[in-house]
Amino acid sequence: MDLNIRRKSTKVQLSGSLVETYPHDLQMYKIPPTENITLQEFETLALERVTLLRCLATATTLKGLRMYSEEWTEYVIGELKTQGLKYYAKLCEKTSCATTEADLQARRKDHIAHFILRLAYCRTEELRRWFIARELELFKMRFATMRSDAVETFFKINNLCYTNISDDEKSEIMHHLRESTPHSNIDNMKFYKVKFYEVLDLVKMRKVYLSGGYAYIAHKDFISVLSAQYRTQLKQSLAVASHHLGEIEQDERLVSLLKGLHQSYSGDDYSNAKAMIPIESLDSLSVKSFPLCMRQLHEQLRLAHHLKHGGRLQYGLFLKGIGVTLEDSLKFWRDEFTKIMELDKFEKQYAYNVRYNYGKEGSKKNYSPFSCLKIINNTVGPGDCHGCPYKHCDVSILKNRLQGYGFEYQAINEIMDMTKKGHFQIACSKYFDAVHHSDMGLGINHPNQYFEESQKIAKGDIKVEIKKEAKPSVKKEINDFDAMDFEEIM
Amino acid sequence: MVGLYDESMLPEMLPIYYTRLFPQSIFCRWLSCGSSPQPLSNRELSFTLADDVYLRYLSICNQKELQLLLQKKCPHKLDIGAVYNTKPSIGRHDAVVLSRELVFDIDLTDYDEVRTCCQEAKVCEKCWKFMVIACEIIDKTLKEDFGFQSILWVFSGRRGIHCWVSDYEARTLDSPGRGAVADYLCLIMGGDNQNKKVHLGSDNLHTSIRRALAVIDKYFDQLLEDQEFLSSAERLDKMLKMIPDEALRSQVQKTLESMPENSLLRWKMFLSVYESYCRESGNNARKIRYLVEEIKIQFCYPRLDVNVTKGFNHLLKSPFSIHPKTGKVSVVFKPGNAKNMKLDEIPSIYSLLDDSAPDNAQHEANMRVAVKNFQEVVFSLEKAEAMRRRNDANMSLDF
Ligand code: SF4
Repeated sequence: MDLNIRRKSTKVQLSGSLVETYPHDLQMYKIPPTENITLQEFETLALERVTLLRCLATATTLKGLRMYSEEWTEYVIGELKTQGLKYYAKLCEKTSCATTEADLQARRKDHIAHFILRLAYCRTEELRRWFIARELELFKMRFATMRSDAVETFFKINNLCYTNISDDEKSEIMHHLRESTPHSNIDNMKFYKVKFYEVLDLVKMRKVYLSGGYAYIAHKDFISVLSAQYRTQLKQSLAVASHHLGEIEQDERLVSLLKGLHQSYSGDDYSNAKAMIPIESLDSLSVKSFPLCMRQLHEQLRLAHHLKHGGRLQYGLFLKGIGVTLEDSLKFWRDEFTKIMELDKFEKQYAYNVRYNYGKEGSKKNYSPFSCLKIINNTVGPGDCHGCPYKHCDVSILKNRLQGYGFEYQAINEIMDMTKKGHFQIACSKYFDAVHHSDMGLGINHPNQYFEESQKIAKGDIKVEIKKEAKPSVKKEINDFDAMDFEEIM
Repeated sequence: MVGLYDESMLPEMLPIYYTRLFPQSIFCRWLSCGSSPQPLSNRELSFTLADDVYLRYLSICNQKELQLLLQKKCPHKLDIGAVYNTKPSIGRHDAVVLSRELVFDIDLTDYDEVRTCCQEAKVCEKCWKFMVIACEIIDKTLKEDFGFQSILWVFSGRRGIHCWVSDYEARTLDSPGRGAVADYLCLIMGGDNQNKKVHLGSDNLHTSIRRALAVIDKYFDQLLEDQEFLSSAERLDKMLKMIPDEALRSQVQKTLESMPENSLLRWKMFLSVYESYCRESGNNARKIRYLVEEIKIQFCYPRLDVNVTKGFNHLLKSPFSIHPKTGKVSVVFKPGNAKNMKLDEIPSIYSLLDDSAPDNAQHEANMRVAVKNFQEVVFSLEKAEAMRRRNDANMSLDF
């Protein structure tokens, strides 16, 4: 990529060439930008796009909305407008191929900003993963809001030509298509045959008919093909970008900016503990300051003197994050496990794992404790009790457990309510309030953050107002988006 | 039988086994074909020695080196890893995994919450039927849906089975691809805190699920009798917890509890209570449209260790490795023949190497069959590879 950064911009752009470069609202970002931009624009564009990607993450995790549902898209677009990112709102809301000056400028910004973030996010595996996930969500959302004529143009521009299967072939497999494809009105649809690995997201969800290595997809399923291509391409270019970081980072003005970009948002990854927690206090802490996912693991460990691999990983890293030392950790796990097994077996099969979590074995990485997102999306199988209880517990079991802990009727109802709606992290926040008799309505996105917030209360850093006051309204509505000047807000 | 022998004899027996019985030549052909276009030496092998010492990143160039390595180290267990861009060795951190067979690992311990005959490390003919079902369902799915052909089925040595898919497309599948195949096959989800682990929704059932149910139906009544899923109060309770509809649940409970403790009869009765309940409640029944199927699946459907399938470089026990605890050989079997396998007829190193052992003759015969099964898969893989290479060559000529 060839981004030249100048202090002063010499922007003499002809709209004519912009029309050629940016014929469509939706891009696959295949060619990097080559124009010169000012450092200030560079910074602004970068920050704005981070805000955009962050909106997507918030909609899914904190708001608990179902991805790509109407409410989800609505929330994202609304949020973009409130944040003063009208041009992104426009690109997302009605993706099209018009060519007004505003359209072209929006696409230009979109294009440049995307490439700036590639530089910021190619640094580590974790950053790459976050970036790819968000960019894909963005891409899919924009594809979904696209009108059908714009879709056609998009296919043309990107040279995507596929031929549908013949009517004979279709009628032969018709009843399989009916069984295995979620669309209604299949009779009138054209079907296309692609290799199964081109539509992995459909395969995963069992939403497509497979035969002999081919997937039979309808026209609207092409978003799967496209996003898979986009993902591969993005992954490769991030890998390439990370190799060329050295060249870009000769400009030190950029270095600090790029490095700080994600940090300013995601904050702590809790891989280094801030305090020391003695293992003797874990029993009481698990009641007072652990989120339910960790309390559940702790109790299970005490009860069964064993946890399966997934549980050891989730709980072990959490303990490291709150400040249990390696020596203490080893003692803690040993004491429990040796109640049901020989010391020798523990040392051979399990001690490695504990040291591994602390970066003392294997690739010696300092692993960070899992975030809620990761825990919620983890696979939980038979015999496992890790995961997030709001997602991975039967409603009746969860309810019994909460009753067993002695919470008030109303608190339990609130938690259960959120759980049933699939708002796991909000349920967790309600649980926090129930434990602390507070009404903080925290946004929980990390078990270790939960722990730290709880400790603040315990130490009196935060005074808890006793519950049952009028709730402050969470969000101020700004109705008149158009009245706000975009430039001012920045 | 196993009681007559023990692990302490392994150091003496293994060298003989590796030289005389382990199918070294065909093993090397399988691995090098499955490594191409990379050379065989880029494949990671790993040994577990006596005392659980673990050697990773070993590799061989040919059969001779394999023989030497086996004699020198005398591994108690032999694992196979991925194919790298260079010869794997401990010091290399820049080595990249290029390919790896698509693998599946099914272990009876994952069935502990449903099987009633054995727990943990134990197996018997009764719970082996779970493996028969798993093998048949997965084999069909891999062939019919994904179009794979080089599929090797291997007894894991104690209480489970492994499956290796060597088709080029499978070997080079990336990790999201492996994840998707695993998820496609995975219907039972949820941990110890979820009683009902199967949710099929209320829309049409996917073709692959229908096919799986057809397989389950062949064995279901037999399993009901073997496993007595519904006999005691406690077992019945487990099944009741899978019924989400409270009214139906209490009806079923009342009816079944008053019956004799016969699972088959109780199941038949459950079906008829369920059917009439659905008829009466009309639209409400939509939510429990596939309840019967869901319960069957939770009882019988394959339980994969998805992490093994998803991981690109997970080590997996090699075919014809010896299980250090049981002494049994990880034999290759034909999926269609899984139901005829008898656990005590699976050859063990002890009876293979002891002429006077009572089952020596039979174990030797079965070992020969296993090697032949292995050969068949390898031959067809070699053919497919040759064809693929020819096609690739033609393609590049065309340009
Ligand atoms: S929301 Fe996060 S902290 Fe709370 S229980 Fe779930 S995973 Fe744990």
